[in-house]
Amino acid sequence: MVDRIRRSWLIVAANDSEGLTEAAQSGADVVVLDLQDRVHDTKKHVARERIRDAIPQLCARGAEVFVRSDIELLYADLHASVWRGLSGVMLPGVTSMAQVQEADSLLGALQAERGVVKPPPVGDVLEADDPVSPQQALELHLCLDTGRSNWDAVELIQASSRVKSISLGRADLVMDLREEPTGDLHLMPYLMQRLIIIANATGVQPIGAWWRATSRGLVANPEDTLEAAISGRQAGFKGGLCMRAYQVAALNRGFTPTDDETASAASMIAQTAGNNGTIDASRAAIATNLIEWATACAAREQGRATMIAQTDNASN
Amino acid sequence: MAKRVRRSSLTMPINTKRFVERSWTRNCDYLNFDFEDSVPQSQKAYARTLVAYAIEQGLQGSAEINLRINCSYPEADVPAAALPGMTQINFPKAETAQQIRNMDRLITEAERLQGIRPGTIRIGTAIETTLGVANSYEIASASPRIDAFAGGTGYDMSLDMGVEMFVGFDQFVYNRGEGALVAKALGLDYVGSVYMPDTTGNVGDTELTRQRAEANRQVGLRSGSGLHPNTVEPQNIGLTSTPEEVEAAQRSLQCFQQLDERGVVEGELDGHIIDKYEAARATELIEWAELCAQKDANKAKAQAQARALEAQ
Repeated sequence: MVDRIRRSWLIVAANDSEGLTEAAQSGADVVVLDLQDRVHDTKKHVARERIRDAIPQLCARGAEVFVRSDIELLYADLHASVWRGLSGVMLPGVTSMAQVQEADSLLGALQAERGVVKPPPVGDVLEADDPVSPQQALELHLCLDTGRSNWDAVELIQASSRVKSISLGRADLVMDLREEPTGDLHLMPYLMQRLIIIANATGVQPIGAWWRATSRGLVANPEDTLEAAISGRQAGFKGGLCMRAYQVAALNRGFTPTDDETASAASMIAQTAGNNGTIDASRAAIATNLIEWATACAAREQGRATMIAQTDNASN
Repeated sequence: MAKRVRRSSLTMPINTKRFVERSWTRNCDYLNFDFEDSVPQSQKAYARTLVAYAIEQGLQGSAEINLRINCSYPEADVPAAALPGMTQINFPKAETAQQIRNMDRLITEAERLQGIRPGTIRIGTAIETTLGVANSYEIASASPRIDAFAGGTGYDMSLDMGVEMFVGFDQFVYNRGEGALVAKALGLDYVGSVYMPDTTGNVGDTELTRQRAEANRQVGLRSGSGLHPNTVEPQNIGLTSTPEEVEAAQRSLQCFQQLDERGVVEGELDGHIIDKYEAARATELIEWAELCAQKDANKAKAQAQARALEAQ
């Protein structure tokens, strides 16, 4: 069953006013307000002050909102971030279970204190308002961007029930992975496949795209981004991170099945039904999943449109 | 311990005198004298008596001295190998952490007996079996004497996996990845290699060696090894940062420093993103170039002195 469609995760510095405006218009499924690498140490306090106002503005344009926290500044970052509309927190540079547990516990306390719950899927109506229910717990997304965190991935994921998705984050830069003669980033194919297997084994969403040397650092051009997204979806990723608003459309497109793929899947299911299962049951199940995913992607777009229409009506 | 420069080496049987006595002329960064596969069983005991002479010969060229023991006879081999001047003892076909802990114990005892400062001698491990691959993390973390690690490839690995060695694709993707990740997780130097198609198995192929060394340098790998003298210079050159790379790194660093002074975390230079990660990479590259230059100067000076002595 498809829970939430998060094909594009656009990371934008929380103190970058222009970037925030651009992000709101980008059509990103998730906007990640950054308090980490994209914010200079001297500007962290300014960035934190912007979070509370930025969240509703982004939600109003149909995006889910996460905050990327600096793992060394967790307390201040989370206190600045847990406000109505936030869906979760991205933790880069995480290397120990204690860090994940600290984030879990801080989120729990702040949710209870401020009455904040995870918003429903975009476009849906909030039917309950219970900060302590597991369904409305703010999420954690772990960026496994170091060797240590990749090695310990299973333990880190299992350190908190809030962990719902994982990615390599900026592993290519943090781990200094560079171009091989094949055009792949050294170690990246292994790390990507390992991450997808671990994510599926532990029941969380694998986020990433099949970035190659031309797209090092999540700042690829739209063509390379689309290629990475298509290959990423085929490899098992459910959405990708990016650093530029112009990459969002490519990620949304690459992570959405094409009409041809959907038609082909429907045809296969019809044949299975008509031929008393002569087509392999696994292939039919794969086709069913693809159609469900495509339907959920369409619903996600509809949810965004509904939210934008409501916002525009309210402001008129 | 400072980062070691280990771009090139030759593995040679310690009981072949003509190899050992000319070893210092090969311009290797390190020499790997062998007790293992290249020494017949009947010569093993004799080989253990030759270490002091081999160290003396190798050091004339300022090469770091390594020795590969037999995994079956560490109790006999380690005390023979752990002499003053030895930098690293290599344990082949490593399969369990217990083997490495035993090595550490034997070396500790030998250092005490020989008056070698504790912790001087490093342990190198070669993963060459599937069991070794499965136990990579435990092996690599079994002793603080291990400062470098790589995944299993090569002849013995092929044999154990039941595959051909020289095929047109990388049959060791998983082994390489696992070894690299273990090294990164433990903060060790990753001393593997990128895959390059090789269907000939010619261990003296200068051109392929050069291509592989350059590809390794470009992904940030710093070490090499070899069996044939033809591979030494292509690796010394191919694994050394070029003047153009050093200049580009200096410009990247300068650009990042200017960004940082302005309170900015990211910029662009010649179409490339400049940020703290790229700055760290540039710093490492510049330091590596300096280490290589120092190593080359040391080797040249030592070899010149040895040649002068030889001429007398």
